[in-house]
Amino acid sequence: MQNPAIRAEALTKRYRGVAALDHLDLEVAPGEVIGYLGPNGAGKTTTIKLLLGLISPSGGRAEIFGADCQRRPAETHRLLAFVAGEANLWPSLTGAETLHLLGRVHGSVDAAYRDELIARFDLDPAKKIRAYSKGNRQKVILIAALMTRARLLILDEPTSGLDPLMEEAFRLSIREARDRGQTVFLSSHILSEVEALCDRVGILRAGRLVETGTLAQLRHLSALTVQVTFDGAVPDLAGVPGVSSLSADGQVVRCHVLGPIAPLLTALAGANVTELLSREPSLEELFLAQYGDHHDDHQDDALTEPAS
Amino acid sequence: MTQAQAVAAAPASVTPRPARSARTVVARLTARKAVRSGVVWGYVFGALIASSAVSYSRIYKTRAARDALAAAYGANKATSALFGPAPQLQTVAGFTAFKIGMTLILLGAVWGVLTSTRLLRGEEDGGRWELLLAGQTTRRRAAAQALAGLGAGACVLWALTAILTVGAGLDPSVKIAAGPGLYFALAMTVTAVMFLAVGALASQLAPTRRQAASYAAAFLGACYALRMIADAGVGLHGLIWASPLGWVEELRPFAAPQPLALLSIAAFTAALATAAIATAGVRDAGAGVLDDHARSAPRLRLLSGPAGLAIRLARPIAAGWWTAIALSALLFGLIARSAGSTISGSSAQGVLAKLGASGSGADAVLGVCFLVLAVLIAFAAAGQVTAARAEEASQRLDHLLAGPVSRTRWLGGRLLIALGVLLAGGALAGVFAWLGAASQHSGAALGTLLDAGLNLIPPAITIGGIGVLAFGAWPRRTTSVVYVVLAWSLLADIVGGFGGSGPASRWLLDTSVFHQMASAPAASPNWAANAVMVAVGAACAAAGCIAFSRRDLAGD
Repeated sequence: MQNPAIRAEALTKRYRGVAALDHLDLEVAPGEVIGYLGPNGAGKTTTIKLLLGLISPSGGRAEIFGADCQRRPAETHRLLAFVAGEANLWPSLTGAETLHLLGRVHGSVDAAYRDELIARFDLDPAKKIRAYSKGNRQKVILIAALMTRARLLILDEPTSGLDPLMEEAFRLSIREARDRGQTVFLSSHILSEVEALCDRVGILRAGRLVETGTLAQLRHLSALTVQVTFDGAVPDLAGVPGVSSLSADGQVVRCHVLGPIAPLLTALAGANVTELLSREPSLEELFLAQYGDHHDDHQDDALTEPAS
Repeated sequence: MTQAQAVAAAPASVTPRPARSARTVVARLTARKAVRSGVVWGYVFGALIASSAVSYSRIYKTRAARDALAAAYGANKATSALFGPAPQLQTVAGFTAFKIGMTLILLGAVWGVLTSTRLLRGEEDGGRWELLLAGQTTRRRAAAQALAGLGAGACVLWALTAILTVGAGLDPSVKIAAGPGLYFALAMTVTAVMFLAVGALASQLAPTRRQAASYAAAFLGACYALRMIADAGVGLHGLIWASPLGWVEELRPFAAPQPLALLSIAAFTAALATAAIATAGVRDAGAGVLDDHARSAPRLRLLSGPAGLAIRLARPIAAGWWTAIALSALLFGLIARSAGSTISGSSAQGVLAKLGASGSGADAVLGVCFLVLAVLIAFAAAGQVTAARAEEASQRLDHLLAGPVSRTRWLGGRLLIALGVLLAGGALAGVFAWLGAASQHSGAALGTLLDAGLNLIPPAITIGGIGVLAFGAWPRRTTSVVYVVLAWSLLADIVGGFGGSGPASRWLLDTSVFHQMASAPAASPNWAANAVMVAVGAACAAAGCIAFSRRDLAGD
């Protein structure tokens, strides 16, 4: 059987007793594009630094294509390319010089693809890093990683500072990488980006992996958003099993439904329904459901009153 | 009640009016940082003055001892070129001014350059200046306020120096009156004020802090070289008025005070400050007046790996050190013969012996002068270590170490390059001192001076090695550790060297790597001691490498 691209077992990092990453168990198959989500300080960058061997774990271990991240860094690094969240580069080098250097350090470069990427990201490589904007510096390290065609791309919030056009170029490049069989580990908090690109999502909260699965699986665990428009009397849906977050605005009622939708349909059977819309939760809603429970409760209190 | 408290205590008004404090925020912010630094360095200045005054009064108690000292230094062209002329050595005050004066003047200049480039161009490099400019100010007014803040720092530097000087003057054996004490403190700190202004103007001209600091440092080097020639007794004393450091010398505290020299100092400072403020008003924020070439054709020759990159980044800095070392060595070679010929009698040689030189004539003078070169090379070594730390702190290193590059290979490569910088520096010192000496027919052999040049390297290796150990074990302390070791060695060598032959001085001297170095070419290099210094440096560096390969990378 082929080794997983990434395997983490009880991977833990503590700083002065505080766990920045707490018993992370994660496996990423070759060719998979995985989104790694979490708010600032949840442990995303810590995970990446551990995978790169830049810091050593307080417990547990991690492997890349079967090679230990701590003991055989040179071997794992040949198989991967890394994009840092902040493009701190050498201010006196030009873009072209930086790409040349990083290519030589990595060892393998697809020169034709590099030139294509420079054109796609509309980068002026003759400029010095000092003279680039934040977004342009980010393009340099993105191109440097993509041009190696490494088997594993580790991206730490790679699109900070990119404009929407460049965001599109980035998505195109990641899809190309996936089609070529490269594995992508995308740490991000831009949810639409993860939703558009990733097969699978891991959600990190305060150093712990709280949710992992395909988007479909995560959605299944989550509530459906339903909006019903009535012509005439609005029935009381408060007691229906599975219904929550009920809100009413005149003839329009919104709610979340967790689990089977049949009880709700039964309850609506006698009413005069003119429109019934249902929508799967967006990743943003899944994400907020993980972090914003309190926010939901308040909404319930505020909006159920007019309905009664 | 401070203004901030007053604002906080006032009842909240309905329409927010701009608080008066908002308009002076730049001045207060800069002042806070400058004052903090001024407190530390004012204490150091004052403590150095007080300790040397008290130690002189204890060591040279009799009139005869003081006369002998005066006879030795008073007409010594070598020490006068290096440390300035030495009138009035029979008095505590006069000796103190001579012994510690040039050190404090140079220290003050370096403090001025580093403080003003850090708080002006450094803040701009870091993107924080723009936040201030977005407030209720203009670029011109912000620069003027920042200069006022720097001025506050200089005032604190002077005040603390003055308090400690006058305090030491109360000691009955020291006896420095309050008036002359205050004037002396002024003479010791006025260089800092001038070079705050130099740094401020350089910060407007250069597009980065490093460049600003190098422009200002080059200017300082030129000033020092000019006054050195003026004081070397080669008939060019008029040059003293061409160098701002010469004006400071002309203040002559305790000897024949010339407060008029303050006029040129004040005019120079005011002119530079005005120019800096005017320039800040017309240039774009974030840019320098001297164009930084934003585009260039790629030069890829060196960029084939981490070592090549390190060479490429170290090249301009190494070139700066090499130039400074070569020019100083040339100058020392040029003045050695005429300065050496004025040495007569055993007392003069005794004085040079205190600085570690034996032998006679030109060689003895060169032996003392080479101490300056040893310090320059040690600074170059310290700079190499702090540059390695800067790569890590800025997280630029992550891009290299995320590739198939081991930490040991990266650090080892950098250390080899640093060693190359030091070796070339030592060789240049020897060759250029020989060129200068040979042009004056002083008869020094190239081989001897080359040996003397290479003899300068072991102390730098020790300091660099200790720096690497700090880098491996306490990365965030690298810079402070390496410069504290360097500054301690320098102070211990100077203070201990003049401090007489008591056990305290000897202990002080033994802690200085510069004292462990034989003062070639006056004495022949002590290769055994050099081997020990190299071994200590190498062992520390190896331990540092091992620690670095095992620890977590640490950002800022």
